[in-house]
Amino acid sequence: MTFSLTLSVSDLLLLLPELFLTAWLCVILIVDFSFKRIVQEQLAYLSILGLVITLACLAWFDVTGITGTLFGKMFVLDRMAIFFKVMILLATILVILLSIDYVHRFAFFRGEYYFLVVMSALGMMFMTSANDLLSLFVTLEFATFGFYVLVSYLRDDMASNEAGLKFFILGVFAAGLLAYGISLVYGETGKLVFSDMTGAAPTTGLVIGFLLIFAALGFKIGAVPFHSWIPDTYHGAPTPVTAFLSIAPKVAAFAILLRLFLVALATFKPAWALLIVATSILSMTYGNIVAIAQRNVKRLLAYSGIAQVGNVLIGLAAGTKMGTDSILFYLLTYLFANLGAFAVIMAISNAVGSDEIDDYKGLNRRSPFLAFAMLIFLLSLAGVPPLAGFIGKLYIFVAAIKEGLYILITVGLINIVVSMYYYLIVVKKMYINEPLDSSPIKTTGPLRAVIYVGLAGTLVIGIYPQPFLDWAVAATLMFSNLLGPAASIPVPVVPFGG
Amino acid sequence: MAEYTLLIILFAPFVGALALIFVSNRQLSLVRGIAAGSAFVSLIASVYLFYAYDPLKGGYQFIQRIEWSRQLGISLHLGVDGIGTPLVLASGILLFAGIFVSWHIKDRVKEFYIWILILAAATIGVFMSLDLFFLYFFYEMSVIPMYLLLGMWGSHTKKYLEMTDAEGLKQRDSVGFIFNFGANSKEYAAMKLVLFLSAFAVAALMGILLIYKFSGLNTFDILVLREQAHFSGPLATLIWLLIFFGFASIAPIWPLHSWSPVGHAAAPAATSMLHAGVLMKLGHFSIIRVAFEILPETTRELMPIAAVLCIFSIIYGGLVAYYAKDTKYVIGYSSSSHMGYVFLGMAALDYISLSGAVIYMFAHAMATGMLFAMAGWVYDQTHTRDIPSLGGLSNRMPFISAAFVIGCMASIGMPGTVNFIAEVMIIVGSWNKYPFQVVVAVLGIVLTMAYLFKMMRGLFYGSMAEKYSHSHDAVTVVDRMPLLIMITVSISFGIFPGHLYSVVRSGVDPLIARITKVVPVAEHPMNLPHATSPTVPTSASHEALAKVTPR
Repeated sequence: MTFSLTLSVSDLLLLLPELFLTAWLCVILIVDFSFKRIVQEQLAYLSILGLVITLACLAWFDVTGITGTLFGKMFVLDRMAIFFKVMILLATILVILLSIDYVHRFAFFRGEYYFLVVMSALGMMFMTSANDLLSLFVTLEFATFGFYVLVSYLRDDMASNEAGLKFFILGVFAAGLLAYGISLVYGETGKLVFSDMTGAAPTTGLVIGFLLIFAALGFKIGAVPFHSWIPDTYHGAPTPVTAFLSIAPKVAAFAILLRLFLVALATFKPAWALLIVATSILSMTYGNIVAIAQRNVKRLLAYSGIAQVGNVLIGLAAGTKMGTDSILFYLLTYLFANLGAFAVIMAISNAVGSDEIDDYKGLNRRSPFLAFAMLIFLLSLAGVPPLAGFIGKLYIFVAAIKEGLYILITVGLINIVVSMYYYLIVVKKMYINEPLDSSPIKTTGPLRAVIYVGLAGTLVIGIYPQPFLDWAVAATLMFSNLLGPAASIPVPVVPFGG
Repeated sequence: MAEYTLLIILFAPFVGALALIFVSNRQLSLVRGIAAGSAFVSLIASVYLFYAYDPLKGGYQFIQRIEWSRQLGISLHLGVDGIGTPLVLASGILLFAGIFVSWHIKDRVKEFYIWILILAAATIGVFMSLDLFFLYFFYEMSVIPMYLLLGMWGSHTKKYLEMTDAEGLKQRDSVGFIFNFGANSKEYAAMKLVLFLSAFAVAALMGILLIYKFSGLNTFDILVLREQAHFSGPLATLIWLLIFFGFASIAPIWPLHSWSPVGHAAAPAATSMLHAGVLMKLGHFSIIRVAFEILPETTRELMPIAAVLCIFSIIYGGLVAYYAKDTKYVIGYSSSSHMGYVFLGMAALDYISLSGAVIYMFAHAMATGMLFAMAGWVYDQTHTRDIPSLGGLSNRMPFISAAFVIGCMASIGMPGTVNFIAEVMIIVGSWNKYPFQVVVAVLGIVLTMAYLFKMMRGLFYGSMAEKYSHSHDAVTVVDRMPLLIMITVSISFGIFPGHLYSVVRSGVDPLIARITKVVPVAEHPMNLPHATSPTVPTSASHEALAKVTPR
């Protein structure tokens, strides 16, 4: 296999967002080192500026329809990659806004924090474009690398160190599994690029290889039974990092899962659908039931995140174009609700200094705005109309019922009720219980901005989802010829004129 | 303007709630004004809707269709038929009355009105949805406001073993609270209500998804599904059971009723009014709209289930209401007992009985709304709902006690109130098919008299404890108006039921004709004399009916 490394200008154009962000990363680092008087807020806004320019560049790609592959199909930029990249950039911008107040708690390396966040974002952007096993391995490790440092950023905090260590050991173990799986698959097929693998004979080695790769990716998204690092890491990590960890790596890993299962393994769908169904049922049930017992809101969201991943996997189990649309759409709704919830958590932890659910007592009297925002975000996570999460869940269920996954849908529906219980317990503390300390809670500008973005996203997508659905549908057009007739857009019959 | 009537009714409360977000809690009169104003707009529009609905034309009118999602085949498809129209009117009246009933709330007034407006708007949304998705959307949307209304402004119910009678002796624990595990806090009630309703709502959602898949039409539109979707065999049975029990839990049919009285007891007055008045009717209405419309054959085969369960609803609810000692438990259980009549009327699948059931829903909304409003007033004045410890309040509150008597009479079904017409129609209409249930229903009326008279005597007559001598009557316009509105509506439709009857018949006729495949021989509703004495329509068509009802 030879790579032609002569890049034309039009090839470089495809890499433009990543190249620009790499350059910007150097700028951030240089500015941090060279200007002694610079404060971390300015660095934060500098990072956001770079991310926004990248976002604009991607928006331009999306509108003009610039797509293509590079390096012998190792790197692919299609509409789906753009969708995922936009989500990751959006999440990163919101996370940096969340961080601005929190970074004061770090004793050292405040500037490098932003560098690491943007670097992880860059890694995940590459991840969404990974189209063969090698680039999968490299980009996944590149993206995780920054997180190892970020999770243990609170240097003197035991919980943070424990979280970092746990994340690192299990992460490296997952990387080992991934490398071993890749070697098995390559040994059996002699192919690295996903799209070349379709139709390979299902030998034992190949099956084991793919199972190992799935285990490594399952670790990234935190699906049961690969979830054991999630609660402690979420609990111990600095809260903005937890927020970042709870959405961005999952988004990126789902991009790879989609390419892997729907392109490389498209022909074995009946076999892997069973695997996904089992993982999904386990994740939803385990996540929701254990979440009931939580007393710490970060752990609650950790377990709720496990359950949400189970929900997203329903869309993957459906394995159709519509299933893919629903995954993209669901992740978008999850992004707004989840980051919004973390913004409220940070506002309260700034004022109260803890993340215990009991500290949310009487929040409605202390800060009606924060309580209302949290209510909206939690209900969206639970899937209550008219919020975005409801449409996301419904879309996934509709995609799944078209494929006849009745048991999976039944479990999913029951889990909605279970999850409602623990979300409502938080609502009860906020609205019904009386506050222990009735001093009002102040929120800072950046946090408020994140909450406003979260609220806007959750409500707008919930009430008028059509443009976002269209965007998700357009992003997955690549799957329409692969996967049957479900891709066609149905036009309901109008019974009478008006 | 007229074609936007439904949008005005639906969105006026939402707009009011949205406007309230930007008002400070300190501007109390502005907060109340916005709430009352938006409810008033909704009420006026629903009164217009009720009288502008053309029963001669029948079918779905005031249709609005806004494309919402192409991929999923969802549109915001609104329209009302003869069944939805009176229920929309009832919601409008109860929302407006509820705003004034809760005029004296002190804690977080703005939030209270926001949630009550959202609750009412969501229920109104269900009554006018012609799209399965939006039916579920509004249905589920009405549940969460209930949680907050119960939790934030509700009151704890006493443990029943601790309840004492006037002499301070412990009262016998009544059968209704066996399943309560001693938990009588408002948080418990609120959580039970939400989880119960959500659990059954997702069952209904499963039914809706199955309809969506197996119709193969890629649409949630009820009108399209009604014409083009055909279900048969075990699949139809499964869907029907999911839909029926999913929605019947909110109705609430025995044995799925246990959340309801607990919820009533914990809720503030206005919430109880909306809960018993319209929220419970969402169940019957959704069954009619989904199961009756889309699965007519299965409905014909399986509706006897409702006929069996309604016996238990009527008798069990009535007995518990007789033994309960908390005013709101009495009214709550009486509501679940009375909802059994609606199920009986629906189960008979007959032109007269189903019309009776729909009119009963409207009538019950008024009667139970009055009772809950006054139970709330008594609670506000005396801070207790324990009937044995109360008594003699008619000296202190003559207006309330007089209105309470009227409310009880309406609830029993005195001639002259609209409840009477509805009850007679249900009884007459289902006699051919379910004579045993009719006997039970008549016994249920006797039972209703027993517990309502018992409560009336316990609250307002007899000797009054000294500590209640400072309680006040409703004297201001604001306090009296909601009661007067409901009394007026109840009595005026009792005396002039013509338009209500013809509107309901225009909705019921095509439905029953589809299900039973029997053409109504009874005169067309418009041929009936316009404001006859209450018994004429029922007895006139009764003879005609005996000939056509399939045996």
